[in-house]
Amino acid sequence: MASFKPTKIPVYPKLGEKITEDTLYWKNYKVPVQIKEFGAVSNIDFSPVAPYNFAVTAFTRIHIYGSFSQEPVKTFTRFKDTAYCGRFRSDGQLLVAGCEDSVVRLFDVSGKVALRMFKGHTKAVHITDFTSDRYQILTGSDDYTCRLWDIPNAVELTSYQEHTDYIRCGVTSKLNRDLFFTGAYDHTLKVFDARTDKSVMSMDHGQPVESLLLYPSEGLLVSAGGRYVKVWDLLKGGQPLVSLKNHHKTITCLALSSNGQRLLSASLDRHVKVYSTTNYKVVHNFDYAAAILSLALAPKDESIVVGMSNSILSIKHRKNPEESKEVTGQQRRRPSYRVFVKGKNYIPKQDDYLVSKSVKQHLAKYDKQLKRFSVSKALDTALETSTRGRKPDIAVAVITELDRRGTLKNALAGRDEEQLSRLLNFLMGNMFDTRFTPILVTAAELILDIYQSVIGQSAVIDRQLIKLQELLEREIDYEKNLLEILGMLDTMFASSLPRKEVPCSGIISGSNGLAQGEASTSRPQLQVT
Amino acid sequence: MAADGGSSSVQLPCVFSPKSRQYLAVCAQDGRLRIWNTDSKTLHQEYVPSAHLSATCTCISWGPCRAAKEGPQRKKRKSEAAQVEGKVDLLAMGTAAGTVLIYSTVKGALHCTLDGGHSGGVNCVHWHPEDSLLYSGSDDTNIVEWDLQTGKTRSKWKADRAAVTSLCVSPDGKLLLSAGRIIKMWDLDTKEVYRKFTGHSMVVTTLCFATTRPPDSNGLYFLSGAAHDRLLSVWQVREDGKDKNSVVSFTLTDEPQHIDLVTSSSKEEAVRLAVVCKDGQLHLFEHFLNGPCKKPLSPSCTVQMSDTKESPMPIPLLAAALDADPRSVTLAYGSHLQPVMERVEINTAERHVCLTRDIKTSLSISMETTVSKVKTPLVNAKSKVLVPGLPGHQAPLKGGSQGKEKRKKDANTKEMSIAERLGEIDLSAVSSQKRAAKVEASLQTDNFAVLLVQGLESNDAEILNKVLQTRKEILIKTTVARLPLPAVLPLVEELTKRLQGHPFMAIQMLRWLKAVLTHHTSYLASLPDLVTQLGVLYHMIESRVKMFHKLTKLHGKLHLLMTQVATNDSSNVLSDVDHTAKLVYEEESSDEDEASGDEALPDDESDHWEEEEAMEEDGEERDDEDENPDGRTEPKANGDEDMEHENESEEE
Repeated sequence: MASFKPTKIPVYPKLGEKITEDTLYWKNYKVPVQIKEFGAVSNIDFSPVAPYNFAVTAFTRIHIYGSFSQEPVKTFTRFKDTAYCGRFRSDGQLLVAGCEDSVVRLFDVSGKVALRMFKGHTKAVHITDFTSDRYQILTGSDDYTCRLWDIPNAVELTSYQEHTDYIRCGVTSKLNRDLFFTGAYDHTLKVFDARTDKSVMSMDHGQPVESLLLYPSEGLLVSAGGRYVKVWDLLKGGQPLVSLKNHHKTITCLALSSNGQRLLSASLDRHVKVYSTTNYKVVHNFDYAAAILSLALAPKDESIVVGMSNSILSIKHRKNPEESKEVTGQQRRRPSYRVFVKGKNYIPKQDDYLVSKSVKQHLAKYDKQLKRFSVSKALDTALETSTRGRKPDIAVAVITELDRRGTLKNALAGRDEEQLSRLLNFLMGNMFDTRFTPILVTAAELILDIYQSVIGQSAVIDRQLIKLQELLEREIDYEKNLLEILGMLDTMFASSLPRKEVPCSGIISGSNGLAQGEASTSRPQLQVT
Repeated sequence: MAADGGSSSVQLPCVFSPKSRQYLAVCAQDGRLRIWNTDSKTLHQEYVPSAHLSATCTCISWGPCRAAKEGPQRKKRKSEAAQVEGKVDLLAMGTAAGTVLIYSTVKGALHCTLDGGHSGGVNCVHWHPEDSLLYSGSDDTNIVEWDLQTGKTRSKWKADRAAVTSLCVSPDGKLLLSAGRIIKMWDLDTKEVYRKFTGHSMVVTTLCFATTRPPDSNGLYFLSGAAHDRLLSVWQVREDGKDKNSVVSFTLTDEPQHIDLVTSSSKEEAVRLAVVCKDGQLHLFEHFLNGPCKKPLSPSCTVQMSDTKESPMPIPLLAAALDADPRSVTLAYGSHLQPVMERVEINTAERHVCLTRDIKTSLSISMETTVSKVKTPLVNAKSKVLVPGLPGHQAPLKGGSQGKEKRKKDANTKEMSIAERLGEIDLSAVSSQKRAAKVEASLQTDNFAVLLVQGLESNDAEILNKVLQTRKEILIKTTVARLPLPAVLPLVEELTKRLQGHPFMAIQMLRWLKAVLTHHTSYLASLPDLVTQLGVLYHMIESRVKMFHKLTKLHGKLHLLMTQVATNDSSNVLSDVDHTAKLVYEEESSDEDEASGDEALPDDESDHWEEEEAMEEDGEERDDEDENPDGRTEPKANGDEDMEHENESEEE
């Protein structure tokens, strides 16, 4: 006895954007927590040690937020003017920040008053960082100088005046305590070695440099300025490797994901773009409400923190895998795995007699009805499940199956006003989905044939039919337009191809051209399918 | 003139020349100083400060008349006939960069620049009534006394903890009032604080002496007005020092913007006061200053102005000057770029006066007459006005750090959002005066192309939606025409993506696609990998069009049925007339491919049928049939609504 074959619901390719690993990964964040700061958020820095607090520099304050608190754990307010660039030391104990009043302040993370004040710059200090030996501080200022300071004595060690405009970004090497990199509004990036009194490398970015980022390997340096992100190979003496232009406004901030595989850039155009570091293609894109000034990623990408010009700080935490599990656990307790594998791994012995037991086939409701040949009911059930679950493919599959059996007419016939109107609604909703059109048009034709005689008796149905007619008119109009475009494309393909393929055909132009045109029209189909 | 208290940058200085009121000095949003002749209502001079974009003018003050040095400045208004006609000459302008410019109207050129006194922006300037001295108060909390003969600072002292926002020199030149939040009265000889007056919670923007008597006679009064405050306070300087609170207050409808008053020298004479508020209304007061008055005084007359359109919009008054004749007032109204000046007689018996003026025509007239008289310094003649300047930035080395940073910040925060920009494109008329210069220059369709390129570059769905949803055919064409070549292929890709989306948005995309294909044919054809580039699009269209045949057939079928239904209904009512009509349809319906031929029929038929329906009153059937023609004719009338209508039905 041949068993009943359930209706096969074909899997159609989904329309719209492709879902890649990256979209899944970067979309796997919760709804952002938004915190209103006192002014534009100019810098965000994550502490490199365990609780991974982060320091947010906004206006004249630096707030330190815990990883899950929405209230600042700690606040530094001892600034006379706008503070800049609050950064943690590699042990997470100290915090350094520049200020508009040109004084650099060093704080203990647990204290309140500045431990050290470094005075010497004559203009606002926009960039501060610790060197990798933890005993020195790098600062860069609007007075065009960058300086190294000794933390214990609070004295200036060296000063470099090589830039010719404001220094707005800088990083220190994590591997070598003497190396550091600065970028300025004079369009250049410079590499300094504290052991020499001049810069060792200089690169031209072409735009005022807004942000710098060093790869963990420190072989590559990424700079952002204007609308460009540029990657420089330091080992080859500052050779430009890549230049990316994916924003339409100035890029303000750069970040690297925890595994170093993805590069993020944030811009005044409200976007954050995620690039793959292997081919430097944009793999994902976030939108924010306002121009973004600062961006930081927590270790292991646990959260994305973005500071905007409208003084809003947005924190997105990664969704917890355990939490989602809990949700499913609450829904329904399924039988454990052992139940299913019980006895399955028993290997029968030589003289065992095998009694086969037919596996009970689980059938959907419409399949059960199909099995019983109650086709109308099956169609009804399929329609209901489709409309409820917004999955038109189920109903379409059932209609196809009915059509294959030749019983579609029976299924459609003998319906009252309400059922028919539901059917028509479904048709109208899905007829112009290219995937479903062929079968649904057949169904519509059948309906018309069946109910031809009774049309005009129900106002509801009549109205729906008129609507269907309008929809059809519109679709036909649309397809006419499409045909026109098809014609245009044909001409275009025809005119573009001969140049490439037939370089010597100068004599026979008319007929040859036509033939080529046909060849070209058939080509794209082959390539795509 | 006491009205220069422009502490906020929003408030633009607008001052009448003293005494004769012959000139009105206005510093408009574009940073230019314009001097208008109030008699001939024309532009007398125009001056563009060299740093008019970076260092905007924050305050203006007319100097005392040169020839007429016999009386204090305020006194001059009192009676014109009694005094020798002095010619007004010098004009002091304080800038946001901390300099004071002295402009000479006689020479029509910059007289001198006073700098080095302030490190913050100048908030207020005031002339000494007799000597050639000038006082300026600044954000850096100092007051500087300038000597005009030498062009140097004569003295400088710290006046307040906060910025000095307003200044006023007493008519006899012995006292100086300064204010941040606290009003201080200084003895100008010793530069010591004589009195302090507290009471304002916000910064004081306006200070003005109301009487000319010496301070030790209990008769010296002055006025003060503060930001966001709808009261004008009057303070009495009393001999015994018991002057803690204001004695009188005048109620206004908004923050005072410009005040003018005629002082009284005796106790019998009422002080006349004209206050222009920020909301553009003028309030006139008359009051005898003789001691405290508990209730706030309301204006004796309020003047408003509106235009002559069907739905009148208020025209803001900018400044008002009282004349010797108590009934007439000189008004300046309209925009700062082109104020209209007028002397009006006001019936002060009425509490509320509303004047209507056609501001458009008066504007255009003054435009034509002014052209020849414009005087612009040669150096700046070519400078193009772009935006109102932001305070601060001068040269990179000089205090530049603050300026540049500010500029960067401001650019971030004040940037117009895309939505706003798009909204402006749709506006036919220039909405606000402030953007007037920008609007006419840049808001054309090329902006749409720029937007589209930006949207394509950053893949910004919001921008793309806004641009691609345009329905105007011309706009689409021009936008595509101005599209740079590198953006063409990304646009085609984006369109391809959108064609796959909602079927009814797709029609919109087709317009764009057609425009792109027709306009950039040669470029596209020259692409070596055209087939691969457009292959997806081609295949998509082909797969969709495959069903064209079947769909048209179905449409024909449905059409036939529906028309039959209609005829059947009418044939139930009328027996013989419709018989011939029915035959005609069967013939016509045989050629189903002719869509246009088919379409012509139902209209005829439905019209025909409606007429019959009107003749025949059938209660039951009428309900059903009435809806049908409605459903049929409505979408044809307005295609736009119809689209949305169907989208809804799709989602069902």
